[in-house]
Amino acid sequence: MKLATTLAAGVALSLLAASAFAYDADWKRGRVYYRSVCTSCHAVQPIGTINPSSKTKAEWAAYLKADKHAKGKDTVKQYVSKAYRASIKSGNKAAEKFADTPDQELLDDVAAFLTKGAKDGDSPASCN
Amino acid sequence: MGHLFNRAALALCCAGWLVATGPVLAEEAKPEPKPLKLTTTADHAKFKELQKTFNSGPEVTKACLACHTEAAGQIHRTKHWKWEYLNPDTKQTLGKKTVVNNFCISVASNEAACNSCHIGYGWKDASFDFKSEENVDCLACHDTTGNYKKPSGLAGNVVTKDMEFPPGSGKILKAIDLSKIAQKVGKSSRDTCGACHFFGGGGDGVKHGDLDSSMSAPEKELDVHMDATGLDFTCGTCHKTSSHDVAGSRYSPTAKDSKGAHLRGKTDNGNPATCVACHNNAPHKSVARLNQHAGKIACQTCHIPSFARGGIPTKMTWDWSTAGQLDAAGKQITKKDAKGRIIYESRKGDFTLGENVKPEYVWFNGNVTYTLITDKIEKSDQRVPINKIGGSPSDGKSMIWPMKVFRGSQPYDPVNKTLVTPHTAGNDDTGYWKNLNWDKAIAVGMNTSGHPFSGKIDFIKTEMSWPINHMVAPKEKALGCAECHSKDSRLAGIQGVYIPVRDNNKLLDTIGWAVVFLTLLGVIGHGAMRIVTARRH
Repeated sequence: MKLATTLAAGVALSLLAASAFAYDADWKRGRVYYRSVCTSCHAVQPIGTINPSSKTKAEWAAYLKADKHAKGKDTVKQYVSKAYRASIKSGNKAAEKFADTPDQELLDDVAAFLTKGAKDGDSPASCN
Repeated sequence: MGHLFNRAALALCCAGWLVATGPVLAEEAKPEPKPLKLTTTADHAKFKELQKTFNSGPEVTKACLACHTEAAGQIHRTKHWKWEYLNPDTKQTLGKKTVVNNFCISVASNEAACNSCHIGYGWKDASFDFKSEENVDCLACHDTTGNYKKPSGLAGNVVTKDMEFPPGSGKILKAIDLSKIAQKVGKSSRDTCGACHFFGGGGDGVKHGDLDSSMSAPEKELDVHMDATGLDFTCGTCHKTSSHDVAGSRYSPTAKDSKGAHLRGKTDNGNPATCVACHNNAPHKSVARLNQHAGKIACQTCHIPSFARGGIPTKMTWDWSTAGQLDAAGKQITKKDAKGRIIYESRKGDFTLGENVKPEYVWFNGNVTYTLITDKIEKSDQRVPINKIGGSPSDGKSMIWPMKVFRGSQPYDPVNKTLVTPHTAGNDDTGYWKNLNWDKAIAVGMNTSGHPFSGKIDFIKTEMSWPINHMVAPKEKALGCAECHSKDSRLAGIQGVYIPVRDNNKLLDTIGWAVVFLTLLGVIGHGAMRIVTARRH
């Protein structure tokens, strides 16, 4: 228990230290990317749309950390990468608009939107 | 002496070398560039005044005003603050504080609930101090986090410690972190304006029809200007604001804008929120005929083919006269349609909802006359207009405009022949939503608004018109010719103008075509004769 607390405190501290210099995530850009890019594929069954409010903040954090998309067949990061955006930008306006955004910034933006829109987030959100 | 000179020369050389190589060394080190915000000149997170705990909204405002010394004074002059507006044409005193509508009806006696959308803190009754600077709510419009909330029932105040509300309900209102929000303030956005204007009438999309939460980050199909991955207009792009006064109010709309596109530096540009303010009066480049249409038809008529297109329904009717039904156990009931949307509530009555609604069309010259609580009304077959839309085909000032017409039945005083202002919201014995007693609710409400009430209650049918301006579709989705030029024309009810196909006369058409046919026959016959006679020679 004590170890867990220490570990948690350590993680929290390192997060705080990181955030002091970190990029200031833009949840609105994350919202546009999530709804235009993620939802555009996920609208199709069998998986269907995934509302940010369908998971808790912790669940989203764990999902993004594990970085396993489609049960590990590929990564989540890949779908936010410049390479992926370049591959779909002819048919997806969000990918085109954010074509040059650094990968980590866009990932942070999407994470910020998911955290905010999570079941226990500040403003639970849907995908459209 | 020579020795000294040599030393000085050496020192100068060294200094020169340092100066010359300094920048090169610095370049080699390549320090990380300082993170730079390009959307603002002031990162509010760096201000010590905001790096503290705030226990109430006014505490934040005080911190804002320490630098933005004129802001509160500017706000005090606006409709958003006063909820009062004198229409210069009709001389009517309007504004949310005064008007009566056919949604939740009126503000008086319901301030604690309604005024969560006031840009101030603490307006719970008539004692509110409109001169108070610290009660101005800066964050309602300048929040960028999307986490700033003003729950209904708290007179526009915010929650800084988790609280149960209403007391005894078991519902917990979560605290918001004012410090975080204050450190991230920025320009107003679709989200901040939308926090109130998307939710007017008590819910998402209820009131306007062309404004709902689907407009917070819309696609091009829904709104060609606000398209989040395209032009990405905010509300303020058109509703150009100066000195905190937002332009383009529905209380005095511009139905026909003949001033043309706005030029920088021109002082009499007029309303910046009209289509013409950017697109000018002859915007169609390839089909000149359409520019002739623009002389009589508002842009919105063709370019907003339907409203409530974003997947969120808008309320189309509201019948207060059926409110008050209870279930067998004496409890309030709620009925839903097949899609799970509320269509009846004991405390409100019956509703109908609409999505992708075709507007109704009228001649409109910009004059709107409200039926106020002081105006006499008569019960008849005709609905009482909550706001009478002025216009005619021949006044030279009118255009054909699309409207959402919201129809309802609401309580009125059949003896004094006036609308009434019931006390609806409130956790008290007289609030209609709690106790379903019109007698008490209207008596208290009329007493608060300061108008006579006979004690008799009846219901009267009313209608309210909302000019449609938003949800402008891409040009490919604008109305085609046949939408109006056909027998089942959208403009079926529009009088005073000849619309080909809609207005054609069968006899006249037959005569016309006969003339064309006979002329053709004559020309062919004449030509044939000439050919035949030419051969003979």
